[in-house]
Amino acid sequence: MASVLASLHPEDTVYGDVGDATVPLRFSSFPQEYQVLRERAAVLDLGGHRLIEITGPAAVDFAQRVLARDVEYLTSDRCMMSLVLDESGQVVDQVVAFGREEGLLLESSCGAGARLLDHLLAHAEEGAEIADRSADLTVIGLEGPYAWGVVGRLIDGELASLPFESVVDTTWNGVDIVFARTGYTGEYGYQMIVPRQAAPGLWAGALEHAQAAGQEALELAMLEVRQPIPRHEATPGASVIEIGANWLVDITKDDFVGRAAVLEAFETGGGLRTVGFTGCEGVPAPGTRVLAGGQDVGEVVYAVQSAGLGATLGLARVDPELAAAGLGLTVGGVDVTTLTSPYIVPKSWSIPII
Amino acid sequence: MTIDELRAKAAQRQQTCSQIKKMIVSRLDLEIEPGWITDDQPLFGRGLELDSLDVLELYVAIEAEFGVALYDSDMAVFGSVSRLADEVDPTLRAPA
Repeated sequence: MASVLASLHPEDTVYGDVGDATVPLRFSSFPQEYQVLRERAAVLDLGGHRLIEITGPAAVDFAQRVLARDVEYLTSDRCMMSLVLDESGQVVDQVVAFGREEGLLLESSCGAGARLLDHLLAHAEEGAEIADRSADLTVIGLEGPYAWGVVGRLIDGELASLPFESVVDTTWNGVDIVFARTGYTGEYGYQMIVPRQAAPGLWAGALEHAQAAGQEALELAMLEVRQPIPRHEATPGASVIEIGANWLVDITKDDFVGRAAVLEAFETGGGLRTVGFTGCEGVPAPGTRVLAGGQDVGEVVYAVQSAGLGATLGLARVDPELAAAGLGLTVGGVDVTTLTSPYIVPKSWSIPII
Repeated sequence: MTIDELRAKAAQRQQTCSQIKKMIVSRLDLEIEPGWITDDQPLFGRGLELDSLDVLELYVAIEAEFGVALYDSDMAVFGSVSRLADEVDPTLRAPA
């Protein structure tokens, strides 16, 4: 799946395949795009996020069964993030669910849309129609401490101060769009679901007030606030508890696909736990062993060079008794220190919307 | 440090985090078990979805339970349970 905006991106944009999508990893300079996201306002081509509509008289019941969070009362002015699990409790995807008058609209994570769609179709129920809307719609995001200002200049200042996870059906240049206050990075964040034919115009309009940031900058900023990135963190066999994504599951909900497995993993308390770390030189590969006091206690999930920390930042999955911040461990023979989340304090937390 | 010393240091933080989780669940009358909250998950907005009224309640609860006043602190202290633990027990910040 390629972005409808690809023809507008600079010629030297670096693309990469993420799951089933080809997405812009960076448009120009990764450090600069990261800085824009953390210091000003970034516009994001989220064309790698597939949009799947669930409609029909059984739409909400179906969504309640396949989503791990409670969407029974998700009205058309609200959205929420939720995991989608299989029967064994493994993560299929992490979605944003938008309440709609006719049912729900699910936004997949980057590159996971085909997998999500296959899963939904495999669990299809009579009375719930599942339709891939990615041929008609795409998503453009805004993130950053001053993203609210871009919303004001681009659409309507009133929308900037919507409560978190609010959704409004509005118009931009006479085009119907779905506007939502969301966010992946801890900064002020917004998403606009727009018809594909109008997306180039909205993208160009947003670029008059913000700078484009690619997937690399977005994923680093997500990691820094411990926002799960399924494609890196949902490793084969890892439970929700091991990933540390409990908050994307409503375990008080009576029933949903995967609930029994998640509950068992929680009650038995086995497995490993995820903790952030920094300190080593270079970027250790996933699977690099983690030692504590010379003993093997786990492995690296993934790691990157953090522009915000000016150092390596990674996640390790370790023995639960050692899953805590402030410990000196060893990764690939190099000393590291485990961290308290968030690893970077978003600037938006100290900047009010004016 | 030996692995036993590291485990002891981790246990100290995990115990404080556990105490904070129980306090949050009790004070905010949440339906979840305290252990369901992870040390690193976001608390405000995303994650536990606390709002500003919840935070005011927690200011009072933290002072009552830990004797620490956070009224002048920025919102970063509510970044996670583990971050709150750093505030109520500064000895946890010492590297081990």
